[in-house]
Amino acid sequence: MTGYPNADAPSPELLQRCVHCGFCLPTCPTYTLLGVEMDSPRGRIRLMETVWQGRVDVTSDPFERHMYGCLDCRACETACPSGVEFGKLMEGARSQIEAARPRSASERLIRRLAFRLLLPRPAVLGTFAHFSVLSKRLGAAAVLRAIGKRIGVAGRLANLLALVPDRASSRALPTAYPAHGTLRGRVALFTGCVMRAAFADTNAATARVLSRNGFEVIVPASQTCCGALHAHAGERADARDLARRNIASLEGLEVDAFIVNAAGCGAALKEYGWLLKDDAAWSERAARFAKRVKDASEFLADAGLSVMPGPLRTRVAYDDPCHLLHGQRIREQPRALLAAIPGLEVMPLGEADWCCGSAGTYNLTQPELSAKLLERKVGHITRSGAQLVVTANPGCQMQIAAGLRAARAPVTVVHLMDLLDRAYRSSGDTGGG
Amino acid sequence: MTVRAGLRGAPLVSALIALLGTDKVLGTREDLLVYEFDGAVDTATPDAVVLPNDTADVAKLSRFCHQHDVPIVPRGAGTGLSGGAIPVEGGVVVSFARMSRILEIDVPNMRAVVQPGLVNLHLSTAAAPHGLYFVPDPSSQKACTIGGNVAENSGGPHTLAYGVTTNHVTGLELVLSDGSVVRLGGKAVEYEGYDLIGAFVGSEGTLGIVTEITVRLTPLPEDKRTILAAFPTIDGASETVSAIIGAGIVPSAIELMDQLATEAVEAAVGAGYPLDAGGILLMEVDGLRDGLDEAATRIEEICRANGATTLRRAATSLERDRLWAGRKGAFAAMGRLAPAYYVQDGVIPRTRLPEVLRTVREVAQRHGVRIANVFHAGDGNLHPLILFADESELEGVKEAGLEILEACVAAGGSITGEHGVGMEKNCFMPLQFTADDLATMGRVKSAFDPAGLANPGKIFPTPGRCREFQLAARR
Amino acid sequence: MTDRIRPADAAACARAVAESAAASLSLRIRGAGTKDYLGEVLPVDAVLDTTALAGIVAHVPADLTVTVAAGTRFADMRAALARAGQFLPLDPPHADAATIGGIVAADSNGFSRSRYGGVRDLLIGTTTVLGDGTVARSGGRVVKNVAGYDLNKLFVGSLGTLGVLVECTFKVLPRPPVSSGAHAQFARSAEAFAAADAIVRTSARPAALAISGGPGGAWELLLQADGDAAPVERTLELFSRSARAHGASAQRHEGVPAVLATLNDVSARGDGTVVRAALPLAAQPAFASSAARLEGFTQFVADAASGIVRVVLRADDAVVLGGADALLAAARVCGGSARIERRPESLRARLRAWGDAEPAGLFLMRRLKEAFDPRGILEPGRSAAG
Repeated sequence: MTGYPNADAPSPELLQRCVHCGFCLPTCPTYTLLGVEMDSPRGRIRLMETVWQGRVDVTSDPFERHMYGCLDCRACETACPSGVEFGKLMEGARSQIEAARPRSASERLIRRLAFRLLLPRPAVLGTFAHFSVLSKRLGAAAVLRAIGKRIGVAGRLANLLALVPDRASSRALPTAYPAHGTLRGRVALFTGCVMRAAFADTNAATARVLSRNGFEVIVPASQTCCGALHAHAGERADARDLARRNIASLEGLEVDAFIVNAAGCGAALKEYGWLLKDDAAWSERAARFAKRVKDASEFLADAGLSVMPGPLRTRVAYDDPCHLLHGQRIREQPRALLAAIPGLEVMPLGEADWCCGSAGTYNLTQPELSAKLLERKVGHITRSGAQLVVTANPGCQMQIAAGLRAARAPVTVVHLMDLLDRAYRSSGDTGGG
Repeated sequence: MTVRAGLRGAPLVSALIALLGTDKVLGTREDLLVYEFDGAVDTATPDAVVLPNDTADVAKLSRFCHQHDVPIVPRGAGTGLSGGAIPVEGGVVVSFARMSRILEIDVPNMRAVVQPGLVNLHLSTAAAPHGLYFVPDPSSQKACTIGGNVAENSGGPHTLAYGVTTNHVTGLELVLSDGSVVRLGGKAVEYEGYDLIGAFVGSEGTLGIVTEITVRLTPLPEDKRTILAAFPTIDGASETVSAIIGAGIVPSAIELMDQLATEAVEAAVGAGYPLDAGGILLMEVDGLRDGLDEAATRIEEICRANGATTLRRAATSLERDRLWAGRKGAFAAMGRLAPAYYVQDGVIPRTRLPEVLRTVREVAQRHGVRIANVFHAGDGNLHPLILFADESELEGVKEAGLEILEACVAAGGSITGEHGVGMEKNCFMPLQFTADDLATMGRVKSAFDPAGLANPGKIFPTPGRCREFQLAARR
Repeated sequence: MTDRIRPADAAACARAVAESAAASLSLRIRGAGTKDYLGEVLPVDAVLDTTALAGIVAHVPADLTVTVAAGTRFADMRAALARAGQFLPLDPPHADAATIGGIVAADSNGFSRSRYGGVRDLLIGTTTVLGDGTVARSGGRVVKNVAGYDLNKLFVGSLGTLGVLVECTFKVLPRPPVSSGAHAQFARSAEAFAAADAIVRTSARPAALAISGGPGGAWELLLQADGDAAPVERTLELFSRSARAHGASAQRHEGVPAVLATLNDVSARGDGTVVRAALPLAAQPAFASSAARLEGFTQFVADAASGIVRVVLRADDAVVLGGADALLAAARVCGGSARIERRPESLRARLRAWGDAEPAGLFLMRRLKEAFDPRGILEPGRSAAG
């Protein structure tokens, strides 16, 4: 095949922005680990170009290997002085692989299960999460790993299980949280799929922190998965479908912002305009919707805390989720919120701007590289001297927690909103909910 | 192109795999395609890429290539701006991505021993806790490697006061193209015999491959003052440079940027440069804290006397970093203005700045191209960035570049100040040097690389590729 | 009896060298003749006198560069630059008589190297006549230049063995508004070095930081600071504090430049044997204390900021021979190198200028010598590289 199969292809206009200066190389985790240009942002862009030139086939194994070898952490975007939008290019390239490459029946089945059945359905995902926690407690990982030596899929499941937290929360949230004190505004909480299925407590904490700061929080029932994982995996049609459903059910709400506490979801929601740009009926609505999406830390730090949190006497380190730092360029706001908690000692963390290896489903698809990155991350965390590592994305939380457990490091992972909630509670103020 | 009869293509790849193992050799089509370019505009596909782990790998490879008549082209991060890492005559590209460690930071002797693939900035970051840093700071320092800096004799904004790479290298380990390993110098400032290190630094991989480097580390300045001055015209800015130097002040850096460059930088970095200025100077004084404010004030007075409309002194290190981020990201930021650029690197005596910049403007008009200027004004090192959209314009763009270089040489300058000659300007060498001068350099080349396998097609004019240029020159 | 050739310009020089090459007549390249003692001085057929190749070729003050004919006396160039408020920041030995060509060929540095760079760092362009009469230019008149190989570096310290320098271009600087000195006396060399080291690790960058000592006496640390008044003042303060911290008290001393000039000329005075070593910075204190224990130890001088050390020995030849060998070996052991810069005639045959160790990369140096001087007529055997 020459060129790309459809209009989702990485566009020549975006590709041309790259002047191959190489500034991205040292920020790319896979280039740093592997040391080869094909697994660097610049090399991947070059490969995307060579498909246009007809020199590389979009269905070829090397093309797929290098496109899916990317973490999609987008650190290269932050490093790029030319403004190359690498995340968009990568999603485009992967969508072309999925469109052009024949997949085996079993692969299609797994993709359909994960992307169509599990992620968009919170009830099913919640059950799956609880089943996973249970299996893990029963030692299923060891059994699976033993089987995994024979059957690859079982090994992958064992890896998945290693990530499962020791406990999961998926209880339903109230539909609304009233504002405390003077009403400063009204926001809607985007509850996500994984967040809702396994980190419902964090969602509740986020709502409490917002309400404590004078915001009425509503929790719309009709929302669905943001589609980030679909888009990263090249399933553009599914991602668009989910985007349309979310926009349709949420855009009419009279709120100041849609608050997201999962960095991956936030980055995806903010890019709905791009995702639907070629859909005449939806492009404008999507762009308008996307402008209203805010990460919880971004929203709170920009609005300012109306009530100071109580003291927490502990040492913490902040690890930037890639899709917050590189995907949404949110760096200072979470740090500002941490600085607002009295007594908290914030330790410097080396390579805080590096991917932990979670990267959506990367830890499942590329376990070896993912493990290397996790080891590196855990090393920095333990050297930082922190007792708590704070982050703001469920994938990172699960991945880092698994790494710390494996290393028997006496450090726990906590979401920034949970920590803030804890600080407010320590002041004797439960903030309701 | 020189036609050489040695081993090439798939047989070469298989032989290298047999020699070094699969994990050190790349040879598939897809793999080779991504090694056919660097930071400049020329491209050529290698026959194989080798990723050595140590000096022994490089020596083994060089011996093999020597036996089989295969050119060797070293590559650091591929950020070069003269096509130095492009295998113009085919052969093996040696990537130093896996030889990127700091072997030693010797604080008492103020030296570091590093592998060539180490990223420039990583060394200064590692040395900072000891109060030391590595002086050469090319704009690509976040990405470029020290091996590449040695090959190109890289400079940077702060070399005005503190020198370029060659002033900071005290030891080298080389692998010559016949596979012999030579260790030169060490941690002292000089060694007996000829200064081979001095001859090697800046030789662009044409004398051999460097596998270990000992560099001088310098105490970090106690403090700095960074000043931004905006002028209504670029002439005002460039005349100010001479005025500052003429007043007996030698700042550690004086950088100049014209309006077009400012536009790109602001879009990319948002460094806070005034967009309405015809020319912007970014200057720094550093050293002991004492007297820095006075020095900065004197510079500001000179700027004001020369018509500066805006003067800003960075108050915090954050502000300073932001001002510098704009300058350091300037080349790559050109991606905001056009899909491609061709950057020249001519040097002129700094008193000739206004006149040569006028010539640059005339060249732009004559060729109907846009040229952004962002350069080391204190050193007289110009960087006109000729913007273009696609390959079809490249001929005209190169023509414009050549006219600018001719103006630089006519003003008593040089065709390259820090980017190197590479395969981009090798045809232009006769502008600056006589046949005897070039033949003398050729004697050095033959002493180090009699077989001519070390990065062939660079620095020296090649009969094939330069024929057209010579015809044009005669015209 | 040797002939004397005194060309008046580059072309005449090239002709003379080409003729000598054709006739296989070996040449001594000589300017003011201040450094006839350097290296292995073997008999030659003729002397090529460079003193007629004299004069400032170009000096544009605002460009901070100067181009001079190689036979120009350093002192004359210094005076010309001073008239424009500038200086070439070199303080070579024999500063009053030496020529530019000789300074470059001998890599004659003083104490200012650490702040301003040495000959190799300041020289940006050369025109040279090679051993076959070819006139070759390298570098240029601009301060930054990477077009082609940097041949300038090869001629620095080559002692005329690769070519006859006919023209040199340097970077120059505006004269600093203030220059002040201070000194302090220490009981032991280690303390003097420790006090110096504390200064070296700051960004004060003094114009000179020298240590001198002799048998039984005190060790003197001398500092000269150049620049604006405030940083110079602060540098002197840092010096006082560092001296105090190491058990000495510092005094202002306006005569430091004169003392430095004397220390610089330690080899010029012609008595005794001078071992000159280039050492890693931290190796200096141990080297100094070893030197001070040697029989015949007479004087020690160090550019403490650069690691260049000179030891003067004076005793019976046999004693000096043993001491010099020990110092040459000590320099190599600690990762540096050393040479015999000067020795009495009586030792010339037994104490080789370059010691017994081959410089690293000698085979490359020999190939270069062969390539630049195919007939081997230029200063045969004089340098470490042949």
